[in-house]
Amino acid sequence: MRKTLSFLIICVMLLSLLAACSPAPTGAPSSEPTKAPDSSKPTTSAPADDSEIVDGRFVKTRKITVEVYDRSNDGGSKPEDNFYTDFIKEGMLRDHNVEVTFVPVPRWTETDVLNNLLAAGDAPDICVTYSYPTIQAYANMGGVIDLAPLLEKYKPMLTNLWDLLGDNNIYYNQDPTTGAVWAIEAIRAQIPRINTFVREDWLKKLNIPEPKTLEEFENMLYAFKNNAATLLGADADKIVPFSLSFDVGWTASNLLISFVPDATTDEEFFIYGFDDRGLTWPGIKEGVRKLNEWYNAGLIWKDFYLYKEGDTTEANMMKAGYVGSMMQNWDNPYRDGDQGIHGTLQKMVGPEAAYIAIDPFPNDAGKYKKLTYSSIDRKVFFPSTNKEPLASLLYLDWISTLENRRFLQIGEEGVTHEVMPDGAIKTIAATGDKIMNSVNNLDYTITINGLDLGDPDLTTRSLALGYAGVDARFIQKAFNTAMNDGFAPKNFNVGEIKSEAGMGQVLKEKRDILFAQAITCKPEEFDAVWEAGYKEYLNAGGQAIIDERKALYEKYYK
Amino acid sequence: MLTAQSNLIKMKKWEKNITYLKRYWTLYLLLLFPVAYFIIFKYIPMTYIQIAFKKYSIVQSPWEMPLADNHGFEFFIKAFSNRDFLLALRNTIMLNFLDLIVGFPAPIILAILLNELPYKKFKRFTQTVAYMPHFLSWIIISGLAKQLFTPTTGLVNIVLNRLGFEPIPFLNDPVHWVWTYVFLGVWQSVGWNTIVYLAAITGINPELYEAAEIDGAGRFRKIWHVTLPGLRPTIITLLILSLGRILGSEFDRPYALSNNLVTEVSNVISTYVYAYGIKGLQFSLTTAVGIFQSVVCVIFLFAANALAKKFGERGIW
Amino acid sequence: MVKSNSSKIGDLIVAFLCFLLILACLLPMLNVLARSLSSTEALIRNEVLLWPKGLNFDSYKMVLEDPKYTWSLAWTAIITVIGTCLSMVMTIICAYPLTYDNLKGKRFINAMILFTMYFNAGTIPLYLLLKDLNLLNKPAVLVIPYCLSVFNMIIMRSFFYGIPESLRESAEIDGAGPIRILISIYLPLSTPVLATLSLFYAVGRWNGFSDALMFMNNKREYWPIQLLLYNILNNVTSIEVATQEGFTKPGLADSIKAATVMFATVPILLVYPWLQKYFITGVTLGSIKG
Repeated sequence: MRKTLSFLIICVMLLSLLAACSPAPTGAPSSEPTKAPDSSKPTTSAPADDSEIVDGRFVKTRKITVEVYDRSNDGGSKPEDNFYTDFIKEGMLRDHNVEVTFVPVPRWTETDVLNNLLAAGDAPDICVTYSYPTIQAYANMGGVIDLAPLLEKYKPMLTNLWDLLGDNNIYYNQDPTTGAVWAIEAIRAQIPRINTFVREDWLKKLNIPEPKTLEEFENMLYAFKNNAATLLGADADKIVPFSLSFDVGWTASNLLISFVPDATTDEEFFIYGFDDRGLTWPGIKEGVRKLNEWYNAGLIWKDFYLYKEGDTTEANMMKAGYVGSMMQNWDNPYRDGDQGIHGTLQKMVGPEAAYIAIDPFPNDAGKYKKLTYSSIDRKVFFPSTNKEPLASLLYLDWISTLENRRFLQIGEEGVTHEVMPDGAIKTIAATGDKIMNSVNNLDYTITINGLDLGDPDLTTRSLALGYAGVDARFIQKAFNTAMNDGFAPKNFNVGEIKSEAGMGQVLKEKRDILFAQAITCKPEEFDAVWEAGYKEYLNAGGQAIIDERKALYEKYYK
Repeated sequence: MLTAQSNLIKMKKWEKNITYLKRYWTLYLLLLFPVAYFIIFKYIPMTYIQIAFKKYSIVQSPWEMPLADNHGFEFFIKAFSNRDFLLALRNTIMLNFLDLIVGFPAPIILAILLNELPYKKFKRFTQTVAYMPHFLSWIIISGLAKQLFTPTTGLVNIVLNRLGFEPIPFLNDPVHWVWTYVFLGVWQSVGWNTIVYLAAITGINPELYEAAEIDGAGRFRKIWHVTLPGLRPTIITLLILSLGRILGSEFDRPYALSNNLVTEVSNVISTYVYAYGIKGLQFSLTTAVGIFQSVVCVIFLFAANALAKKFGERGIW
Repeated sequence: MVKSNSSKIGDLIVAFLCFLLILACLLPMLNVLARSLSSTEALIRNEVLLWPKGLNFDSYKMVLEDPKYTWSLAWTAIITVIGTCLSMVMTIICAYPLTYDNLKGKRFINAMILFTMYFNAGTIPLYLLLKDLNLLNKPAVLVIPYCLSVFNMIIMRSFFYGIPESLRESAEIDGAGPIRILISIYLPLSTPVLATLSLFYAVGRWNGFSDALMFMNNKREYWPIQLLLYNILNNVTSIEVATQEGFTKPGLADSIKAATVMFATVPILLVYPWLQKYFITGVTLGSIKG
């Protein structure tokens, strides 16, 4: 016993010694190959002097760090050190004499880790995030560099960046009063958003044509329910004519939008547009009433509100073949090859089992209006610890250059893609070091999300080939349907909207609670429940936002 | 005369101190490491707590940040004037209280039960199985709960249906949800919590049992007069510690088990902080709420400890 | 010793209650185990109850065949052992001196320690501190910052209080110093609490991953196994990511979730029975007489 104790005490002493005597810290990950000799230290505070650039190359080597998402993919490569980072590093060194180091940040806890890094002054020089309020919050604390003067000064050197993003995306977030640009917007290449999907084989079996109106869609749902035995045989009691998720605004989007009056102006869309599912848009209440009706008639998945984000129950039901119709991302069923919904349906139910995109929700003017994404995507910003803003801007320019991003998006021929007879590019899944950790390496092409081969027609044809095991006709129908009468509300830049700070999650939760309660209550209680929940939303901060948006709109645009 | 006497007294005191140190210096040596640990890893970061009173800036150190409005109490005021916070506070107290009433006695009873089992192998098996749920994350438990308790597809409700009963809204009605929440909590932790009590029971002198046997005590009397008194210090300690957590709020359990129909009871302080403080990037608010919780908990701790001492028990300090 | 009938009935009732408890605890575990061994199709159709359907070991294979995971398993075991030893030593040397009622400064130290249980400022200040101490991304950061739990220390101290003062006094008369008393009297008599707390610390270290997430960001080879599994799950199921970026990655989501639980539980299940032998009835205490 004594021996063990002495042993343990010695361990403790040793450990404390170890901790105390560790070598000097290295902020960046250890395994970085340095191609060029490490000549100079980067200059301090002031941005790089023009006179130090010759032909786009710095006279002295500059160093920058770039954030990259770490998805910890099974079988994935190290995000900060692989075939593609080598490509980028070589290119940046060769073209601009800038040494690039990648800082991996876990995708799921990105904000937390970024908070830590910013607080410690270790943030990468170039950061990327989907949440603009986060950047606004950092900017208010003085943690972000204003890009406006830099963009103006160096515009001639950043032609590729402008070619790709244009004034629209680069100045999307410019404050109309101060002119500050805290972040530039990456571009989203494909903007279709949500489709309504229905089982093609069920329509055929019950001899129903594709519904083109709300009434036809509803009749179809009833038909599914009443003919459950024909459609599902022994599993008849598992049938779900229409599936919803807890995120009602997303999985019923096209239906709800169809209740918004066609004459709604851009101004109204803006003033009532804080909620990205459109809760406060005119007309939504009636759309939800319709859902309430369907729920009480047994047409909607009874347990939709019980399962949270990340739960696979709903997707499993679709894969098992129980769901007749639903709304999801425009190509959701076709993704993931034989592990996806389409692939699994084919395996488990049969070769005719497939979801097709339909357009059954015209609005009061007969148009099939639905939301598309606007052309913005991720926001790129420079924390205030960035000492090399010009080198960083040149990085963004380099990564936006067509041939560079094209290579990153499709990789090497024969390894990550093959060329079809008509020139279209078909992606192949690679393994090993050349594997792409994210679709089309979007983690590296931080200024663009979505395939862009330069030629729009070629890009569209190649896109359709990107779905393993799925016939192109499905993709084309889905794409066209999602874009039909698609619109994205116009963006009015009014600078910072103070009443929105910190309200994102809170109001989102209240919205989802309102939807859930309003849909599941009895039809006669609907109005009362809706009014109560809507009032709660407004009181919790929704009204303040609407008021401020209105005031700011009138200030700048009237 | 007087000075000589006081000098003598001083010398004696000095001698006493020297003897004391000679005797106990090793204890101070031992304590050196833990105290250093607490200072370094707990107290130095603790200076950050002041951001609850300041306007947070991620690029400044807490000492540099400017004081918040209302003499620094802006965030406390913000929290208390927010209906959501007050609701969360009410729910936290209610759920913690129920957890205490149901969940505190349960491991004690179970430990005593297990101790009574004469079949050794069965006893060990039960012990091992009983703490398994402790290892399930709440996400998994909520998945299991949904398999059992959903209104139409839950196994329990299917069985009830077959037997001719109405389905019970375990998860989608606020009142039922509270009880489901509490009992799942007990189920998950009871086996694990018995470990401490079982260890304490093994520390009870077996001669006491023999003596009671000789005095003609039956099973229940033995439990009442030997086991429980033997467990008493442990129970009191853990009770004081539990009371000191009355305003504590874990995140995983309410988050995993809640859904949008029961938020009037499932929103607790931790979910409030998650939505407003963490996702809303309001660090100062988060810290302010944390301080409020801590202060209330410490008050309860003091009260519980004082009460225990009044009853002649040894408190936590 | 012959048991009376009512006592035997009592035994049976207790046994029956325990049986119910076993069912309540074992059945869910069996369900999780079965899910981890079932085929994707069966899981999609939600057909798995207590027995695997479409038996396959894919999720286990994925973990055990990939050197990344087997190394992580071994590494997690290493830090669990080291961490538990460190924690136990720290807990003992903290609890023991505080059992001396006449220790000067005891109230102050007690208060100071308890205070830390209630007031903490979150991860950012700890991150900054660890950065200043050069501990970030070093293996030591997985065992040092949380090595001493006040709760556990209080439990140990309570147990020490239960050991009669008379033992200590007689040893002091014999001329033994405090450390000698600790080693030769207190520790041998405290095997139940030592075993219990070792178990608590070990489980905490084996299953914990949020500290690695925050403080070991760069050195993924030092990640505990639960962190790796957590990432896989998120990869496959995050709707938020799908909404933002428009894609998800395929994977063995459901069976991996279940396998995660197995990796969490099984090692501890193996250790606990071995520890149970320390929970013997206080035979040693019986040696104390008069």
